Formats: sequence, C-alpha cells, structure tokens
Amino acid sequence: MQGLVELVAAPLGQAFVQRALGAGLALGTAGALLGVFVVQRGLGLVADGLAHATFGGLALGLLLGATPDRAIAIALPFTVAVALGIQQLRRRTTLGGDVATGVFFAVSFAAGVLFLGLRAASAPPVNVEALLFGSLLAVSPESLLVTGVVSALVVALLLAIGPQLAYATFDPELARLSGVRVAALESLLLAVTALVVVVGVRTVGVVLVSAFVVIPAAAAQLVGRTLGAILALSLATSLFATVSGLLASYHLNVAPGATIILVLGAIFLVALTLRRR
Amino acid sequence: MSAALLARDVTVELGGRLVLEGVSFEVKQGEFAALCGPNGGGKTTLLRAALGLVPLAGGAIELLGAPAGSASAAVGYLPQAKPANASFPARVVDVIAAARRSSWPLFVGDEERERVRSVLARVGGERLLDAALRGLSGGELQRVFLARALASDPKLLLLDEPTAGVDEKGRGEFLELLDGIAARTDLAAVLVTHSAEAVRRLAERVVYLDGSVRAWGPPGEVLEREFARGSAFGGHDHETAAGARCESA
Repeated sequence: MQGLVELVAAPLGQAFVQRALGAGLALGTAGALLGVFVVQRGLGLVADGLAHATFGGLALGLLLGATPDRAIAIALPFTVAVALGIQQLRRRTTLGGDVATGVFFAVSFAAGVLFLGLRAASAPPVNVEALLFGSLLAVSPESLLVTGVVSALVVALLLAIGPQLAYATFDPELARLSGVRVAALESLLLAVTALVVVVGVRTVGVVLVSAFVVIPAAAAQLVGRTLGAILALSLATSLFATVSGLLASYHLNVAPGATIILVLGAIFLVALTLRRR
Repeated sequence: MSAALLARDVTVELGGRLVLEGVSFEVKQGEFAALCGPNGGGKTTLLRAALGLVPLAGGAIELLGAPAGSASAAVGYLPQAKPANASFPARVVDVIAAARRSSWPLFVGDEERERVRSVLARVGGERLLDAALRGLSGGELQRVFLARALASDPKLLLLDEPTAGVDEKGRGEFLELLDGIAARTDLAAVLVTHSAEAVRRLAERVVYLDGSVRAWGPPGEVLEREFARGSAFGGHDHETAAGARCESA
C-alpha cells in the first residue's frame, strides 16, 4: 500500500508534473464532454483536421514573429476560420464532411510547412517535433491558466446549450421545428472544437490532440445507453486515462501525451468488448 | 374562426424545378383531410413548406392563422423518415420529453416520466417507455412518433405517409389510432397517403395534388373522379384490395 502511495506521491510532489496534470485534466474534461457531441454528429475526423489546421496557424504566427506560446493568438482565429470553412463547404455543396475536412486539412498543413520555410534565417529556431507531438511536461504556468480557462468556458457553454445541441444532433429538422437554431449551434460547436484543439496542440501536439476529443466519447458511446450516461462515462474515461497515463509515463520515462492516449486506446478496447448490442 | 391550414396560390421551386404551382385549398379546424396524388406531385413538399422547412416561391400558407413555420407548438408533425440520427442514444421517454421541452433531456424525473407515459398511453405504447429507439419495429416507431407529435397537445397534426414501410398488421393498428384522431373535433389533421383505405376510412375531405390541385372535395367524389381517370393513387395503392383499381392508366 505504501509503495502505491509513493508511486503517486513522488511525481505529484514536483511542480512540472502538477502543471502537466492540471493541463491534462483541463484538456481531458473539455475534450471528453465536447467529444460526445462531435462523435455523435460524425465529426470525429474534423477534430483531426482542425489539429492539422492549427499547425498552419501556429506556423503563420511564428512567421509573423510571435513566440511559440503567443502564436496561439494567430492560430486560434486561423483554426476557427478553417472550422467554419469546413461547415460552409458541407452545407453549400454536395461534398461530405470527410472530403471538406480532407481538403482543408491538407491545404492548412501545407501552408504551415511553407510558412515555417519562409521565416528569416535569423529567426529563432522552431522545435517542429514539439509542435507535432506536444510537451505536456513542459506546460508553463501561463499555458496551464489558458487551458484551465478554456476548459471552464467549454463546460459552462455545454451546460447552457448542451440540451439544444443534443436535440439538433438527434434530428436537426425536428429541433428546428421546435425553435432550435440548428445552423448556429453547429457553427458554435465547430468553433469551440477549434478552440479546444488549438489549446490542446500546445500541450499534446498536432498529431495526438484529436484523440482527447474522439476516443473517450467513442468508448462511452459503445457502452452508454443515454446521453447523460455517455457524457459521464466519457468524462470518467478521460480523467482516469490522464492521471494513470501521466503517472505511468513518469515512472517509465516515456512521452506522457502518447502514454495517455495509449491508455485511452486500451479503455476503448475494453468498451468494445462490453458494448451494448 | 381561422382555418387549420390555408394555402393560397402556393408556388414552390426546388432545384430549378417547379414542384407546386398555384396551389390553393383550406382545411377547417377539426377536419381530417387527406393529401393524395402521384409520387413527385408535391404532397410532402407542401407539408414541408407549411412547416417553414421549404421556402415558398409565391403565395402564402397559414397554419392556425399564423404564417408558415411560426405555429410550432400548436402543430404536431409526423415526418416520413425517422429518426435522422440512428446511432443517437435515444430512448422513447427521451424522444417524447424532448418534444415537450424543445431540448434533449439529460435526465428525466419521475413527474416527467409519468407525463410521457400518459402521452404514450394515448397511442397504446406505454410498454415502450424505456425502450431504445433503435430496437423498435417500423410499427412501434410510428406509434412513438405519433405520440411525439401529440405530446404538445396540438390543434393541427401533419402526417407524412405514416404507414410507409410498416407491415400489414402494423398498418391496420396505426389506422385504428388515426381513427381515434379523426373522431376528435378539437384536432385537425392533414394526412399524406397513397392508401385508398386510409382515405375512405379517415378523411372528410381529399385534396388531389399533382403539381397543382386537380381535385378537392369529399372522398367519394374525388376518388370516383380520379378512379375514372385511372390515376387516383398514381399506382401506389398497394395497401388495399382495391389497389388494382387504383393503378395508373
């Protein structure tokens, strides 16, 4: 028993692990709750596309002279614009969401590569690996604050609009007839997803951030029978994976973001075996 | 007293094609009307236009004295295709509570469950209260969606081919339910149907629509006229023994 306490207490006694845990729990909370609506609407791939668009936005910020932390101010409007662009392409053309996402995903990522290449030779070097794979253990107090505020905003927003968003997800036409502003809610969902993804990219990287949105919700959907149960299961999955994955990565001396996502993947496999028929 | 549904010179264009042109008719309050005609005749489009889901290119539609699309609480709607998102974790109790709240319930309390149960009782569906929507048969699904349409105690019910895709037994049971609705004097209904049996059994008035109103009047009169032309149900009356007589010429 004492050994177990030490396994937990030793890493948590260190400030950088505390910050990583705080950022991971905040991101995990926002991603897990938002993810339920994203997955139910079949927009899982959009979260991944927005993460790659964020790379383009961050690279544009760096090209304009911002530091990696401050480049988020450019990445956020850039990614929200991409999210709304994907929505317009889905609504106004016969192209499906996967095609619209695929187009924006590739173009934004290519633009990011171009922007990084256009930076002056005298500009400070950029750690592209950190952009792609994140650095949860290197979360600054400022990043932790931003992640916490964004998470609180997402929770508050979902408490306010969640029931209407859910109705629009179940049947957009019936919801519209009941006075729900379906198109505006979808735009808001995509914009908030972009916000969570941008903040998440700074901590877990472009490649892994969408897992925080998609996997907990997908695992919960396999097991939960009602929307309330799915939201609770998604949140519990995300928080458990964050804590256990971070502690495991500390003791194994491996990347924390990847470890958390592998724990999420393991939970998904368990959910698959327990799924409701 | 204003009409339950009043269409005045309605024109609708979809994808560059004129679907409805100069459609005018009236359904009185408490009246049960059937909307018949061939596929592509504009029946569903007319219902959707009345609900504000399809824009009008000309004319006007009023529901209970209010412009199209603005009388939502007093109008119950049973759509043809349901539900839109089959993977959504919906139970019957959630679907009906959502119709009453105009938002999805994350939790349904005891009091609300009882209200939903009483709505389901009107269509003989109490036993379905906690059932998952995805596990229901076509007939059960129609029953639940009829309960959903009745949940807000509407004054006008719009039913879009409610027995399409339902087996013969389910169709018979559903027509029994509609019989009860047709008997009510406080509820008007417009039923889109290809079924001669449903028209004869339920409708006080029939509108025969084929892009424009070709006939409008009591069922016997309209059916006789359209049968004489050999086109009463556009060859789609597969639900009755009289079907053979309804085949297109």
